Amino acid sequence: MTALPVSVADSLHASIHRQRELAYLQIDTELRLVGAGGHLEYYGLEGLEIGASACEQVFFLEGLLPPTQSPSFVRSLEIVADRAADLQFYLDGDHIWVVLLDVTAERDESRRMQQRAYDMTLLREKEALLNRRLESANAALRAAQGELERSRLELESAHSRLQADLAEAAHYVRSLLPAPLSEPFRADWRFVPSAALGGDALGYHWIDSEHFALYLLDVCGHGVGPSLMSVAVLHMLRTRSLRGIDFRNPAQVLSSLNDAYQMQSASDLYFTLWYGVYQPRERTLKYGCAGHPPALLVSADGSAVEHLKLAGVPIGLVDGVKYASATVSVPAQSRLYILSDGTFEVQKPDGAMLAFDELVEFVRCPPRADSDLDDWLQHLVQLRGGSLDDDFSIVRFGF
Amino acid sequence: MLQKKICMLGGFSVGKTTLVKRYVESVFSETYLTTVGVKIDKKVVNLPDRTVNLILWDVAGEDDVATIRMSYLRGMAGYVVVADGTRPATLDVALSLRERVEAEHGHIPFTLLVNKHDLLEQWAISDAELRSLTDEGWSVRTSSARTGEGVEDAFTDLANRTTR
Repeated sequence: MTALPVSVADSLHASIHRQRELAYLQIDTELRLVGAGGHLEYYGLEGLEIGASACEQVFFLEGLLPPTQSPSFVRSLEIVADRAADLQFYLDGDHIWVVLLDVTAERDESRRMQQRAYDMTLLREKEALLNRRLESANAALRAAQGELERSRLELESAHSRLQADLAEAAHYVRSLLPAPLSEPFRADWRFVPSAALGGDALGYHWIDSEHFALYLLDVCGHGVGPSLMSVAVLHMLRTRSLRGIDFRNPAQVLSSLNDAYQMQSASDLYFTLWYGVYQPRERTLKYGCAGHPPALLVSADGSAVEHLKLAGVPIGLVDGVKYASATVSVPAQSRLYILSDGTFEVQKPDGAMLAFDELVEFVRCPPRADSDLDDWLQHLVQLRGGSLDDDFSIVRFGF
Repeated sequence: MLQKKICMLGGFSVGKTTLVKRYVESVFSETYLTTVGVKIDKKVVNLPDRTVNLILWDVAGEDDVATIRMSYLRGMAGYVVVADGTRPATLDVALSLRERVEAEHGHIPFTLLVNKHDLLEQWAISDAELRSLTDEGWSVRTSSARTGEGVEDAFTDLANRTTR
Protein backbone atom coordinates (compact mmCIF):
# COMPACT_ATOMS: atom_id res chain seq x y z
CA MET A 1 0.00 0.00 0.00
CA THR A 2 1.32 3.42 -0.94
CA ALA A 3 1.96 5.64 2.09
CA LEU A 4 0.04 8.86 2.16
CA PRO A 5 2.05 12.01 1.59
CA VAL A 6 2.97 13.68 4.85
CA SER A 7 0.76 16.66 4.05
CA VAL A 8 -2.32 14.43 3.56
CA ALA A 9 -1.57 12.39 6.66
CA ASP A 10 -1.13 15.58 8.71
CA SER A 11 -4.41 16.92 7.35
CA LEU A 12 -6.22 13.71 8.24
CA HIS A 13 -4.67 13.79 11.69
CA ALA A 14 -5.79 17.37 12.19
CA SER A 15 -9.27 16.49 10.94
CA ILE A 16 -9.59 13.60 13.37
CA HIS A 17 -8.40 15.85 16.16
CA ARG A 18 -11.06 18.40 15.30
CA GLN A 19 -13.88 15.90 15.02
CA ARG A 20 -13.07 13.50 17.82
CA GLU A 21 -11.85 13.90 21.32
CA LEU A 22 -8.53 12.15 21.47
CA ALA A 23 -6.33 11.36 24.43
CA TYR A 24 -3.26 9.24 24.83
CA LEU A 25 -1.20 7.58 27.48
CA GLN A 26 2.42 6.58 27.30
CA ILE A 27 3.43 3.63 29.47
CA ASP A 28 6.78 2.03 30.02
CA THR A 29 7.66 -1.63 30.29
CA GLU A 30 7.17 -1.49 34.08
CA LEU A 31 3.62 -0.42 33.30
CA ARG A 32 4.24 3.00 34.79
CA LEU A 33 2.69 6.03 33.26
CA VAL A 34 5.40 8.09 31.63
CA GLY A 35 3.30 10.47 29.62
CA ALA A 36 -0.26 11.54 28.84
CA GLY A 37 -1.90 14.10 26.63
CA GLY A 38 -4.88 15.12 24.54
CA HIS A 39 -8.35 15.57 26.02
CA LEU A 40 -7.74 13.54 29.16
CA GLU A 41 -10.43 15.36 31.11
CA TYR A 42 -13.01 14.27 28.49
CA TYR A 43 -12.44 10.70 29.69
CA GLY A 44 -12.19 11.56 33.37
CA LEU A 45 -8.42 11.06 33.30
CA GLU A 46 -7.28 14.41 34.65
CA GLY A 47 -4.77 14.51 37.51
CA LEU A 48 -2.76 11.51 36.40
CA GLU A 49 0.52 11.01 38.22
CA ILE A 50 3.47 10.48 35.95
CA GLY A 51 5.69 7.69 37.17
CA ALA A 52 2.94 5.86 39.06
CA SER A 53 1.27 2.59 38.06
CA ALA A 54 -0.85 3.03 34.95
CA CYS A 55 -3.41 0.37 35.83
CA GLU A 56 -4.03 1.73 39.32
CA GLN A 57 -4.76 5.18 37.87
CA VAL A 58 -6.52 4.12 34.69
CA PHE A 59 -8.63 1.31 36.03
CA PHE A 60 -9.98 0.11 32.69
CA LEU A 61 -6.46 -0.92 31.69
CA GLU A 62 -6.55 -3.69 34.29
CA GLY A 63 -5.75 -6.95 32.53
CA LEU A 64 -5.02 -5.32 29.17
CA LEU A 65 -1.32 -4.56 29.62
CA PRO A 66 0.98 -5.24 28.06
CA PRO A 67 -0.74 -5.70 24.73
CA THR A 68 -0.04 -8.99 22.99
CA GLN A 69 0.13 -7.40 19.57
CA SER A 70 0.51 -4.01 18.03
CA PRO A 71 -1.63 -2.38 17.05
CA SER A 72 -4.53 -3.89 18.95
CA PHE A 73 -7.95 -2.50 19.63
CA VAL A 74 -10.74 -2.65 22.17
CA ARG A 75 -13.84 -1.20 20.61
CA SER A 76 -16.42 1.07 22.10
CA LEU A 77 -15.58 1.31 25.77
CA GLU A 78 -17.94 3.40 27.83
CA ILE A 79 -15.62 4.78 30.42
CA VAL A 80 -17.30 7.77 31.92
CA ALA A 81 -20.48 9.82 31.63
CA ASP A 82 -21.95 7.89 28.73
CA ARG A 83 -18.88 8.64 26.59
CA ALA A 84 -17.51 5.84 24.46
CA ALA A 85 -14.01 5.46 23.08
CA ASP A 86 -12.09 2.99 21.05
CA LEU A 87 -8.89 1.96 22.79
CA GLN A 88 -5.90 1.52 20.57
CA PHE A 89 -2.67 -0.04 21.76
CA TYR A 90 0.65 0.51 20.04
CA LEU A 91 4.05 -0.84 20.97
CA ASP A 92 6.80 1.63 20.20
CA GLY A 93 10.20 0.49 21.38
CA ASP A 94 10.13 0.47 25.17
CA HIS A 95 6.84 2.23 25.35
CA ILE A 96 3.21 1.35 25.06
CA TRP A 97 0.95 3.95 23.58
CA VAL A 98 -2.69 3.83 24.53
CA VAL A 99 -4.88 6.05 22.38
CA LEU A 100 -8.48 6.86 23.25
CA LEU A 101 -10.56 7.97 20.30
CA ASP A 102 -14.09 9.17 20.90
CA VAL A 103 -16.74 7.01 19.21
CA THR A 104 -19.73 8.20 21.21
CA ALA A 105 -21.68 9.26 18.11
CA GLU A 106 -21.10 5.94 16.35
CA ARG A 107 -21.89 4.07 19.55
CA ASP A 108 -25.16 5.99 19.92
CA GLU A 109 -26.13 5.27 16.34
CA SER A 110 -25.32 1.59 16.77
CA ARG A 111 -27.29 1.58 19.98
CA ARG A 112 -30.36 3.07 18.30
CA MET A 113 -30.30 0.39 15.64
CA GLN A 114 -29.53 -2.41 18.06
CA GLN A 115 -32.20 -1.19 20.45
CA ARG A 116 -34.83 -1.37 17.71
CA ALA A 117 -33.66 -4.84 16.71
CA TYR A 118 -33.66 -6.11 20.30
CA ASP A 119 -37.01 -4.51 21.10
CA MET A 120 -38.41 -6.24 18.04
CA THR A 121 -36.83 -9.54 19.05
CA LEU A 122 -38.15 -9.23 22.60
CA LEU A 123 -41.56 -8.43 21.22
CA ARG A 124 -41.43 -11.52 19.03
CA GLU A 125 -40.30 -13.59 22.00
CA LYS A 126 -43.19 -12.27 24.06
CA GLU A 127 -45.57 -12.93 21.21
CA ALA A 128 -44.23 -16.47 20.87
CA LEU A 129 -44.52 -16.98 24.62
CA LEU A 130 -48.08 -15.66 24.60
CA ASN A 131 -48.89 -17.91 21.67
CA ARG A 132 -47.47 -20.90 23.51
CA ARG A 133 -49.51 -20.01 26.58
CA LEU A 134 -52.62 -19.50 24.49
CA GLU A 135 -52.04 -22.83 22.77
CA SER A 136 -51.52 -24.46 26.12
CA ALA A 137 -54.68 -22.83 27.51
CA ASN A 138 -56.50 -23.80 24.36
CA ALA A 139 -55.35 -27.40 24.71
CA ALA A 140 -56.45 -27.39 28.35
CA LEU A 141 -59.81 -25.95 27.32
CA ARG A 142 -60.19 -28.60 24.63
CA ALA A 143 -59.35 -31.29 27.16
CA ALA A 144 -61.87 -29.84 29.61
CA GLN A 145 -64.42 -29.58 26.83
CA GLY A 146 -63.79 -33.23 25.93
CA GLU A 147 -64.17 -34.19 29.56
CA LEU A 148 -67.40 -32.20 29.78
CA GLU A 149 -68.67 -33.86 26.62
CA ARG A 150 -67.87 -37.30 28.03
CA SER A 151 -69.62 -36.35 31.29
CA ARG A 152 -72.58 -35.05 29.32
CA LEU A 153 -72.84 -38.29 27.35
CA GLU A 154 -72.58 -40.32 30.55
CA LEU A 155 -75.25 -38.14 32.12
CA GLU A 156 -77.42 -38.49 29.05
CA SER A 157 -76.97 -42.22 29.16
CA ALA A 158 -77.76 -42.35 32.87
CA HIS A 159 -80.75 -40.08 32.27
CA SER A 160 -81.99 -42.30 29.47
CA ARG A 161 -81.62 -45.37 31.68
CA LEU A 162 -83.48 -43.59 34.46
CA GLN A 163 -86.23 -42.51 32.10
CA ALA A 164 -86.52 -46.06 30.82
CA ASP A 165 -86.70 -47.33 34.40
CA LEU A 166 -89.39 -44.76 35.23
CA ALA A 167 -91.35 -45.62 32.12
CA GLU A 168 -91.11 -49.28 33.01
CA ALA A 169 -92.27 -48.56 36.54
CA ALA A 170 -95.20 -46.51 35.20
CA HIS A 171 -96.05 -49.29 32.83
CA TYR A 172 -96.01 -51.76 35.69
CA VAL A 173 -98.25 -49.55 37.85
CA ARG A 174 -100.66 -49.21 34.95
CA SER A 175 -100.72 -52.98 34.49
CA LEU A 176 -101.99 -53.34 38.05
CA LEU A 177 -104.95 -51.03 37.49
CA PRO A 178 -108.35 -52.64 36.96
CA ALA A 179 -110.12 -52.76 33.65
CA PRO A 180 -113.02 -50.35 33.11
CA LEU A 181 -116.46 -51.69 34.14
CA SER A 182 -119.79 -51.46 32.43
CA GLU A 183 -121.88 -53.75 34.63
CA PRO A 184 -123.53 -53.53 37.09
CA PHE A 185 -122.34 -49.95 37.01
CA ARG A 186 -119.86 -48.14 34.94
CA ALA A 187 -116.27 -47.41 36.01
CA ASP A 188 -113.63 -45.73 33.97
CA TRP A 189 -110.34 -44.01 34.77
CA ARG A 190 -107.44 -42.09 33.39
CA PHE A 191 -103.96 -42.54 34.79
CA VAL A 192 -101.20 -40.42 33.28
CA PRO A 193 -97.95 -40.58 35.23
CA SER A 194 -95.79 -37.48 35.11
CA ALA A 195 -92.38 -37.57 33.43
CA ALA A 196 -90.77 -37.99 36.83
CA LEU A 197 -93.27 -40.74 37.82
CA GLY A 198 -95.37 -39.94 40.82
CA GLY A 199 -96.84 -42.22 43.40
CA ASP A 200 -100.47 -42.36 42.30
CA ALA A 201 -102.40 -45.62 42.14
CA LEU A 202 -106.08 -46.43 41.94
CA GLY A 203 -108.32 -49.46 42.02
CA TYR A 204 -111.68 -51.02 42.67
CA HIS A 205 -112.82 -54.53 43.31
CA TRP A 206 -115.60 -56.53 44.86
CA ILE A 207 -115.01 -57.36 48.51
CA ASP A 208 -117.99 -59.63 48.46
CA SER A 209 -121.21 -59.75 46.51
CA GLU A 210 -122.63 -56.78 48.43
CA HIS A 211 -119.60 -54.56 48.85
CA PHE A 212 -117.53 -52.87 46.20
CA ALA A 213 -114.28 -51.16 47.25
CA LEU A 214 -113.02 -48.12 45.34
CA TYR A 215 -109.92 -46.11 46.16
CA LEU A 216 -107.22 -43.79 44.93
CA LEU A 217 -103.96 -43.01 46.67
CA ASP A 218 -101.14 -40.58 46.13
CA VAL A 219 -97.71 -41.17 47.70
CA CYS A 220 -95.74 -37.98 48.34
CA GLY A 221 -92.89 -37.17 46.00
CA HIS A 222 -91.86 -38.47 42.62
CA GLY A 223 -89.71 -41.29 41.38
CA VAL A 224 -89.28 -44.99 41.83
CA GLY A 225 -89.53 -44.98 45.64
CA PRO A 226 -93.05 -43.46 45.85
CA SER A 227 -94.10 -45.59 42.91
CA LEU A 228 -92.97 -48.79 44.64
CA MET A 229 -94.83 -47.75 47.76
CA SER A 230 -98.02 -47.05 45.83
CA VAL A 231 -97.75 -50.51 44.28
CA ALA A 232 -97.27 -52.07 47.73
CA VAL A 233 -100.32 -50.30 49.14
CA LEU A 234 -102.36 -51.14 46.05
CA HIS A 235 -101.39 -54.77 46.45
CA MET A 236 -102.33 -54.74 50.12
CA LEU A 237 -105.76 -53.30 49.34
CA ARG A 238 -106.43 -55.70 46.46
CA THR A 239 -105.35 -58.79 48.35
CA ARG A 240 -106.84 -57.55 51.61
CA SER A 241 -103.64 -58.61 53.33
CA LEU A 242 -104.11 -56.49 56.45
CA ARG A 243 -104.92 -59.11 59.07
CA GLY A 244 -108.06 -58.75 61.20
CA ILE A 245 -109.35 -55.79 59.26
CA ASP A 246 -112.81 -55.45 57.85
CA PHE A 247 -112.21 -53.98 54.41
CA ARG A 248 -115.85 -52.98 54.29
CA ASN A 249 -115.01 -50.41 56.95
CA PRO A 250 -113.04 -47.48 55.51
CA ALA A 251 -112.12 -46.12 58.94
CA GLN A 252 -110.53 -49.42 59.92
CA VAL A 253 -108.68 -49.68 56.61
CA LEU A 254 -107.20 -46.18 56.91
CA SER A 255 -106.22 -46.64 60.55
CA SER A 256 -104.57 -50.00 59.87
CA LEU A 257 -102.65 -48.66 56.90
CA ASN A 258 -101.49 -45.79 59.08
CA ASP A 259 -100.20 -48.29 61.63
CA ALA A 260 -98.45 -50.31 58.92
CA TYR A 261 -96.86 -47.43 57.00
CA GLN A 262 -95.44 -45.03 59.53
CA MET A 263 -93.05 -42.82 57.60
CA GLN A 264 -90.14 -43.38 60.02
CA SER A 265 -90.04 -46.97 58.81
CA ALA A 266 -91.07 -46.20 55.22
CA SER A 267 -88.16 -44.06 53.96
CA ASP A 268 -89.94 -40.89 55.08
CA LEU A 269 -92.75 -41.54 52.61
CA TYR A 270 -96.38 -40.92 53.37
CA PHE A 271 -99.51 -40.94 51.25
CA THR A 272 -103.03 -39.65 50.94
CA LEU A 273 -105.88 -42.05 50.31
CA TRP A 274 -109.54 -41.83 49.52
CA TYR A 275 -111.19 -45.19 50.23
CA GLY A 276 -114.89 -45.99 49.78
CA VAL A 277 -117.14 -49.02 49.85
CA TYR A 278 -120.26 -48.98 47.68
CA GLN A 279 -123.29 -51.16 48.48
CA PRO A 280 -125.39 -51.34 45.31
CA ARG A 281 -128.42 -52.86 46.97
CA GLU A 282 -128.71 -50.02 49.53
CA ARG A 283 -127.25 -47.45 47.10
CA THR A 284 -125.02 -46.23 49.85
CA LEU A 285 -121.36 -45.25 49.81
CA LYS A 286 -119.31 -45.46 52.98
CA TYR A 287 -116.02 -43.67 52.72
CA GLY A 288 -112.99 -42.42 54.56
CA CYS A 289 -110.35 -39.90 53.66
CA ALA A 290 -106.71 -39.55 54.73
CA GLY A 291 -105.53 -36.11 53.65
CA HIS A 292 -106.83 -36.70 50.13
CA PRO A 293 -108.76 -34.27 47.92
CA PRO A 294 -112.52 -34.80 48.21
CA ALA A 295 -114.30 -37.19 45.90
CA LEU A 296 -117.17 -35.55 44.00
CA LEU A 297 -120.62 -37.10 43.89
CA VAL A 298 -122.57 -35.46 41.10
CA SER A 299 -126.30 -35.81 40.72
CA ALA A 300 -127.70 -36.99 37.41
CA ASP A 301 -128.57 -33.52 36.18
CA GLY A 302 -125.51 -31.87 37.72
CA SER A 303 -127.59 -29.71 39.99
CA ALA A 304 -125.85 -31.09 43.08
CA VAL A 305 -122.19 -31.82 43.65
CA GLU A 306 -121.39 -33.31 47.00
CA HIS A 307 -117.81 -33.06 48.30
CA LEU A 308 -117.02 -36.37 50.01
CA LYS A 309 -114.27 -35.49 52.41
CA LEU A 310 -113.51 -36.16 56.03
CA ALA A 311 -110.84 -34.68 58.22
CA GLY A 312 -107.80 -36.89 58.42
CA VAL A 313 -104.01 -36.53 58.08
CA PRO A 314 -102.14 -38.37 55.35
CA ILE A 315 -101.20 -41.93 56.19
CA GLY A 316 -97.80 -42.37 57.77
CA LEU A 317 -97.45 -38.89 59.21
CA VAL A 318 -98.80 -39.40 62.74
CA ASP A 319 -98.70 -42.69 64.59
CA GLY A 320 -101.87 -43.98 66.27
CA VAL A 321 -104.34 -41.78 64.41
CA LYS A 322 -107.92 -43.09 64.22
CA TYR A 323 -109.82 -42.24 61.06
CA ALA A 324 -113.55 -41.76 60.68
CA SER A 325 -116.03 -43.03 58.11
CA ALA A 326 -119.13 -41.42 56.69
CA THR A 327 -121.98 -42.75 54.62
CA VAL A 328 -123.89 -41.06 51.82
CA SER A 329 -126.76 -42.12 49.63
CA VAL A 330 -125.96 -42.55 46.01
CA PRO A 331 -128.79 -41.27 43.82
CA ALA A 332 -129.67 -43.13 40.63
CA GLN A 333 -127.74 -41.97 37.56
CA SER A 334 -125.32 -40.10 39.74
CA ARG A 335 -121.58 -39.99 39.03
CA LEU A 336 -118.72 -40.29 41.46
CA TYR A 337 -115.28 -38.85 40.74
CA ILE A 338 -112.28 -39.91 42.80
CA LEU A 339 -109.22 -37.94 41.89
CA SER A 340 -105.65 -37.04 42.78
CA ASP A 341 -104.36 -33.51 43.33
CA GLY A 342 -102.67 -33.71 39.94
CA THR A 343 -106.07 -33.27 38.32
CA PHE A 344 -106.46 -29.73 39.57
CA GLU A 345 -103.22 -28.44 41.15
CA VAL A 346 -102.03 -26.98 37.88
CA GLN A 347 -100.46 -23.61 37.21
CA LYS A 348 -102.19 -21.57 34.59
CA PRO A 349 -100.30 -19.48 32.00
CA ASP A 350 -100.89 -16.34 34.10
CA GLY A 351 -99.07 -17.98 37.03
CA ALA A 352 -102.20 -18.50 39.12
CA MET A 353 -103.19 -21.97 40.26
CA LEU A 354 -106.26 -23.60 38.83
CA ALA A 355 -109.12 -23.51 41.38
CA PHE A 356 -110.64 -26.76 42.56
CA ASP A 357 -114.01 -25.21 41.86
CA GLU A 358 -113.18 -25.13 38.15
CA LEU A 359 -112.90 -28.89 38.22
CA VAL A 360 -116.14 -29.07 40.22
CA GLU A 361 -117.94 -26.95 37.64
CA PHE A 362 -116.54 -29.07 34.84
CA VAL A 363 -117.71 -32.39 36.30
CA ARG A 364 -121.07 -30.90 37.22
CA CYS A 365 -122.00 -30.69 33.59
CA PRO A 366 -119.31 -31.85 31.23
CA PRO A 367 -119.82 -30.85 27.57
CA ARG A 368 -119.28 -34.42 26.47
CA ALA A 369 -120.38 -36.81 29.20
CA ASP A 370 -118.66 -39.90 27.78
CA SER A 371 -115.35 -38.26 27.22
CA ASP A 372 -115.26 -36.00 30.27
CA LEU A 373 -112.04 -37.55 31.63
CA ASP A 374 -110.17 -37.05 28.36
CA ASP A 375 -111.59 -33.57 27.94
CA TRP A 376 -110.43 -32.52 31.38
CA LEU A 377 -106.98 -34.02 30.83
CA GLN A 378 -106.73 -32.23 27.50
CA HIS A 379 -107.82 -29.00 29.13
CA LEU A 380 -104.99 -29.27 31.69
CA VAL A 381 -102.40 -30.17 29.07
CA GLN A 382 -103.42 -27.14 27.06
CA LEU A 383 -103.21 -24.96 30.14
CA ARG A 384 -99.69 -26.21 30.87
CA GLY A 385 -98.67 -26.07 27.25
CA GLY A 386 -97.24 -29.59 27.54
CA SER A 387 -96.93 -32.53 29.87
CA LEU A 388 -98.12 -32.27 33.46
CA ASP A 389 -95.80 -31.92 36.44
CA ASP A 390 -97.68 -34.41 38.58
CA ASP A 391 -99.51 -37.68 38.04
CA PHE A 392 -103.00 -37.25 36.66
CA SER A 393 -105.33 -39.90 38.18
CA ILE A 394 -109.07 -39.83 38.15
CA VAL A 395 -111.76 -42.51 38.38
CA ARG A 396 -115.36 -41.97 37.36
CA PHE A 397 -118.17 -44.25 38.46
CA GLY A 398 -121.61 -44.03 36.93
CA PHE A 399 -124.23 -45.51 39.24
CA MET B 1 -5.11 -1.79 46.06
CA LEU B 2 -5.78 -5.18 44.58
CA GLN B 3 -7.76 -4.89 41.35
CA LYS B 4 -9.77 -7.65 39.67
CA LYS B 5 -11.40 -7.48 36.30
CA ILE B 6 -14.83 -9.13 36.28
CA CYS B 7 -16.79 -9.51 33.04
CA MET B 8 -20.55 -9.64 32.78
CA LEU B 9 -21.61 -11.99 30.00
CA GLY B 10 -24.91 -13.30 28.72
CA GLY B 11 -27.61 -12.95 26.10
CA PHE B 12 -29.19 -9.61 25.38
CA SER B 13 -31.71 -8.14 27.78
CA VAL B 14 -30.99 -10.60 30.56
CA GLY B 15 -30.18 -7.75 32.97
CA LYS B 16 -26.38 -7.51 33.02
CA THR B 17 -26.35 -3.71 33.05
CA THR B 18 -29.11 -3.46 35.66
CA LEU B 19 -27.32 -6.00 37.84
CA VAL B 20 -24.15 -3.87 37.76
CA LYS B 21 -26.21 -0.74 38.38
CA ARG B 22 -27.91 -2.41 41.32
CA TYR B 23 -24.58 -3.62 42.67
CA VAL B 24 -22.61 -0.40 42.19
CA GLU B 25 -25.29 2.25 42.68
CA SER B 26 -28.05 0.32 44.50
CA VAL B 27 -30.64 1.51 42.00
CA PHE B 28 -32.91 -0.17 39.49
CA SER B 29 -34.34 1.19 36.28
CA GLU B 30 -37.23 -0.35 34.37
CA THR B 31 -35.99 1.15 31.11
CA TYR B 32 -34.16 -1.28 28.91
CA LEU B 33 -31.25 0.38 27.17
CA THR B 34 -29.10 -1.96 25.16
CA THR B 35 -25.35 -1.91 25.70
CA VAL B 36 -23.07 -1.43 22.74
CA GLY B 37 -19.45 -2.47 23.16
CA VAL B 38 -18.65 -2.53 26.82
CA LYS B 39 -19.41 -0.38 29.81
CA ILE B 40 -16.86 -0.11 32.55
CA ASP B 41 -17.64 0.36 36.22
CA LYS B 42 -15.87 -0.25 39.45
CA LYS B 43 -16.75 -1.19 42.97
CA VAL B 44 -14.62 -1.44 46.06
CA VAL B 45 -15.36 -4.62 47.98
CA ASN B 46 -14.30 -5.16 51.53
CA LEU B 47 -13.54 -8.81 52.02
CA PRO B 48 -12.70 -10.19 55.48
CA ASP B 49 -8.96 -10.18 54.79
CA ARG B 50 -8.53 -7.57 52.09
CA THR B 51 -10.07 -4.86 50.05
CA VAL B 52 -10.51 -5.41 46.34
CA ASN B 53 -11.30 -3.00 43.57
CA LEU B 54 -13.59 -4.84 41.19
CA ILE B 55 -13.41 -3.51 37.64
CA LEU B 56 -16.71 -4.55 36.10
CA TRP B 57 -16.84 -4.99 32.35
CA ASP B 58 -20.46 -5.02 31.31
CA VAL B 59 -20.10 -6.59 27.88
CA ALA B 60 -22.82 -6.14 25.25
CA GLY B 61 -25.21 -9.07 25.18
CA GLU B 62 -24.90 -11.81 22.67
CA ASP B 63 -27.60 -12.44 20.12
CA ASP B 64 -28.08 -14.38 16.92
CA VAL B 65 -26.08 -11.82 14.96
CA ALA B 66 -23.53 -10.37 17.34
CA THR B 67 -21.12 -12.59 19.23
CA ILE B 68 -19.11 -11.34 22.12
CA ARG B 69 -15.63 -10.13 21.28
CA MET B 70 -13.32 -12.36 23.22
CA SER B 71 -10.79 -9.47 23.23
CA TYR B 72 -12.95 -7.82 25.87
CA LEU B 73 -12.29 -10.68 28.22
CA ARG B 74 -8.54 -10.44 28.22
CA GLY B 75 -7.09 -10.30 31.69
CA MET B 76 -10.32 -11.00 33.52
CA ALA B 77 -10.07 -12.64 36.94
CA GLY B 78 -13.64 -13.87 36.98
CA TYR B 79 -16.93 -13.55 35.19
CA VAL B 80 -20.62 -13.58 35.78
CA VAL B 81 -22.67 -15.30 33.15
CA VAL B 82 -26.25 -14.09 33.33
CA ALA B 83 -29.47 -15.75 32.16
CA ASP B 84 -33.06 -14.52 32.31
CA GLY B 85 -35.21 -16.95 34.31
CA THR B 86 -38.26 -16.02 32.27
CA ARG B 87 -36.57 -16.82 28.93
CA PRO B 88 -35.22 -20.36 28.85
CA ALA B 89 -33.29 -19.72 25.63
CA THR B 90 -31.01 -17.31 27.50
CA LEU B 91 -29.82 -20.19 29.68
CA ASP B 92 -28.67 -21.95 26.51
CA VAL B 93 -26.78 -18.79 25.52
CA ALA B 94 -25.21 -18.66 28.98
CA LEU B 95 -24.12 -22.30 28.79
CA SER B 96 -22.67 -21.78 25.32
CA LEU B 97 -20.80 -18.65 26.43
CA ARG B 98 -19.33 -20.38 29.43
CA GLU B 99 -18.14 -23.20 27.20
CA ARG B 100 -16.45 -20.80 24.77
CA VAL B 101 -14.83 -18.79 27.56
CA GLU B 102 -13.53 -21.99 29.14
CA ALA B 103 -12.13 -23.08 25.80
CA GLU B 104 -10.46 -19.72 25.13
CA HIS B 105 -9.30 -18.68 28.59
CA GLY B 106 -9.19 -21.88 30.62
CA HIS B 107 -10.83 -22.25 33.99
CA ILE B 108 -11.62 -18.91 35.57
CA PRO B 109 -13.93 -18.43 38.57
CA PHE B 110 -17.46 -17.66 37.44
CA THR B 111 -21.02 -17.52 38.67
CA LEU B 112 -24.19 -18.30 36.78
CA LEU B 113 -26.77 -15.73 37.80
CA VAL B 114 -30.33 -16.57 36.80
CA ASN B 115 -31.88 -13.15 36.95
CA LYS B 116 -35.42 -11.69 37.21
CA HIS B 117 -36.33 -13.99 40.07
CA ASP B 118 -38.97 -11.45 41.10
CA LEU B 119 -41.05 -12.50 38.06
CA LEU B 120 -42.00 -15.83 39.57
CA GLU B 121 -45.25 -16.08 37.62
CA GLN B 122 -43.25 -16.00 34.38
CA TRP B 123 -40.36 -18.11 35.68
CA ALA B 124 -39.57 -20.77 33.11
CA ILE B 125 -36.36 -22.47 34.23
CA SER B 126 -36.78 -25.49 36.45
CA ASP B 127 -35.03 -25.97 39.77
CA ALA B 128 -33.98 -29.41 38.57
CA GLU B 129 -32.15 -27.89 35.62
CA LEU B 130 -30.25 -25.50 37.87
CA ARG B 131 -29.61 -28.25 40.42
CA SER B 132 -27.98 -30.39 37.75
CA LEU B 133 -25.54 -27.53 37.03
CA THR B 134 -24.83 -27.12 40.72
CA ASP B 135 -24.15 -30.84 40.87
CA GLU B 136 -21.51 -30.31 38.17
CA GLY B 137 -19.73 -27.90 40.51
CA TRP B 138 -21.10 -24.66 39.10
CA SER B 139 -21.82 -21.68 41.28
CA VAL B 140 -25.48 -21.08 40.42
CA ARG B 141 -27.53 -18.34 41.97
CA THR B 142 -30.84 -16.68 41.35
CA SER B 143 -31.06 -12.92 41.49
CA SER B 144 -33.29 -9.95 40.98
CA ALA B 145 -31.83 -6.63 39.93
CA ARG B 146 -35.25 -5.16 40.73
CA THR B 147 -35.30 -6.21 44.38
CA GLY B 148 -31.57 -6.70 44.87
CA GLU B 149 -32.10 -10.35 45.81
CA GLY B 150 -28.87 -12.32 45.53
CA VAL B 151 -26.89 -9.54 43.82
CA GLU B 152 -24.45 -8.42 46.51
CA ASP B 153 -23.84 -12.00 47.66
CA ALA B 154 -23.07 -13.17 44.15
CA PHE B 155 -20.43 -10.50 43.51
CA THR B 156 -18.91 -10.84 46.98
CA ASP B 157 -18.65 -14.60 46.56
CA LEU B 158 -17.02 -14.21 43.16
CA ALA B 159 -14.63 -11.56 44.46
CA ASN B 160 -13.62 -13.97 47.20
CA ARG B 161 -12.94 -16.74 44.76
CA THR B 162 -10.86 -14.52 42.45
CA THR B 163 -8.56 -13.53 45.30
CA ARG B 164 -7.85 -17.01 46.66
